[in-house]
Amino acid sequence: MIHFSILIEQLINGLVLGSMYALVASGLTLIWGTMKMLNFAHGEFYMLGGFGLYFGIVSSHLPAWITLPLVLIIVFLIGVLLEKGLIAPLLGRPGWDVSAVVITLGIGIFIQNFAFKFWGGDFQNVPYMFEGTVKVFKMNLAWHRIYILAITLIVIIAFWQIMKRTRFGMAMRATAQDNEAATLMGIPYRRIYRITFGLSACLAALAGTALAPIFSVNPWMGSGPMIKAFIVVILGGLGSFSGAILGGLIMGLTESLSVLFLTSGWKDLTSFLLLILILVIRPSGLFGTKEW
Amino acid sequence: MDDQFDHRSLKVLRIISPNLIGGIFIILILLPLLIRNEYYINVLTICLIFATLASTWNLMVGYTGILSFGHQAFYGLGAYFSALLTMKLHLSPWLGLPLGGLFAGLLSLAIGFPCLRLRIAPYVAIATLAFSEILLVICKNWVSLTRGEMGLWGIPTFSDLVLLNLIPISFSKGAKIPYYYVMLTIFMVTMVFIYFQMNSKVGLALRSIREDQDAASSLGVNITRYKLTAFFTSSFFAGVTGSFYAHYIMILAPDSVFSVGEMVEIVAITLVGGIGTFLGPTLGAFALIIGLELLRGLKDYRLMIYGAMLVMVILLMPHGILAGIYQIIFKLKGAIGYGDK
Repeated sequence: MIHFSILIEQLINGLVLGSMYALVASGLTLIWGTMKMLNFAHGEFYMLGGFGLYFGIVSSHLPAWITLPLVLIIVFLIGVLLEKGLIAPLLGRPGWDVSAVVITLGIGIFIQNFAFKFWGGDFQNVPYMFEGTVKVFKMNLAWHRIYILAITLIVIIAFWQIMKRTRFGMAMRATAQDNEAATLMGIPYRRIYRITFGLSACLAALAGTALAPIFSVNPWMGSGPMIKAFIVVILGGLGSFSGAILGGLIMGLTESLSVLFLTSGWKDLTSFLLLILILVIRPSGLFGTKEW
Repeated sequence: MDDQFDHRSLKVLRIISPNLIGGIFIILILLPLLIRNEYYINVLTICLIFATLASTWNLMVGYTGILSFGHQAFYGLGAYFSALLTMKLHLSPWLGLPLGGLFAGLLSLAIGFPCLRLRIAPYVAIATLAFSEILLVICKNWVSLTRGEMGLWGIPTFSDLVLLNLIPISFSKGAKIPYYYVMLTIFMVTMVFIYFQMNSKVGLALRSIREDQDAASSLGVNITRYKLTAFFTSSFFAGVTGSFYAHYIMILAPDSVFSVGEMVEIVAITLVGGIGTFLGPTLGAFALIIGLELLRGLKDYRLMIYGAMLVMVILLMPHGILAGIYQIIFKLKGAIGYGDK
């Protein structure tokens, strides 16, 4: 019989993990929604977030509240530059979705091996943002996990409001629907693409900074979450923001509950089985359009 | 883009005469007579391995238009299956070659079927990449069979042969030339097969699927059958190559065959040589692998270079280096009327 408190603990772990998947996946889905492309370098932005935190807090002894915004701004700029230099020139070429997918694969492997060569392949530890635990219903809950849940909630609400209320959000939605029509309305869709790409990179980096203290920082830390995030966006439906959030939570919960039955090495398999299942039963995902 | 112009330079690459292919084969057959150095032969063997892998990936992506990011999975499947057959069941490695290919081909149908329903390329890319990651997870965790991260070692190599009852060929660790000829045979069989397939009705059907799936389907092309054919043949030959690799190197680790790095290498080689062309992947394999061997100091940065190459080629020479060079030459000559704004 599985002990009740273990079950609850795994549920909370699942929520924490799931909210991180949701963050990474919402970045992917944001790009797909506006630019109609997949970013196979997304995991490397997550990794850059982790390394940024490590360099800021451990190497330079900066306080967390300076490091975090600094890392996010730098990753945003890297994202914008990559889009401007490497992806924007491909826009509008025939077969551009394929070449864009392949080019991000190249960018990703470059960044990953750059990190490996210049920052080393050791597993680095980063301290928690908030030390200590709090007792909730007779259970010890680490402050850091609460921080992760809070961050995710804030980001989701902020994004939702930005998309709904601001001029930028409207421009983004218009571009997503039809970039030519958006151009006719005076929306510079290229600039929207650029900012979207940067923001998406930021979301991945944010997840990287949040999870770096739990897992360790290394050049390959991004590939696992990225593949999971791909599965999440398919589960939720490519291009759907709420689908990414819900899909992320489902995935996190499935994975952490599967630990009750499987050893941790095998738990990765559950997410892949989930993917095969979706592809066979409902390729458009939970909230997907008929684009597949 | 200067479309008209691209066509002209591409034509040069697309004209593939049997004479040209035969000539290349003869050069490759005679090469070991000129180069006796074992190290160079080893490099050439690796070139042939990647030329075969890239050519089969090209069959899937360049000719049929199925964007697969899981080609390394079939390579790895062939390698592991053949290695385990020879180690646990003591089969001959010679039998392992076709069986490894067959196993990879059959398992490719397992991912091929769910992919059939997916219309847009990125979905297929995710599904195939996830497939190869599944295999990596299985390979790392099924320790009792694959020894997990510790890897397999002591994989038996090919047994000695007597060719035509006359010429004895012995496979020992020091002599690389016999291995070179085995790989060359696999390479030539693969290329001849692809050549005949692409010049047959099947090839026409595959290309029509790439151009427009709906139109092809409306004209009576059986999409399911032909897509699965593409999956099977390309992964069969990738599996045979994997099996050769296992008996050649005699050590296997999950990351050495199933990693995304291998995939990037295959993609970069194909794109550098020219995707969708018959000899492009072979050209790319020889150019990139020999190039990296020559620049020895850069070998540590291998994957970084492959990544950067991939990016540069897509941006600057989307049809590969040969087409790119033609383009530059034509531009220098001032070919008027092409590429004007």
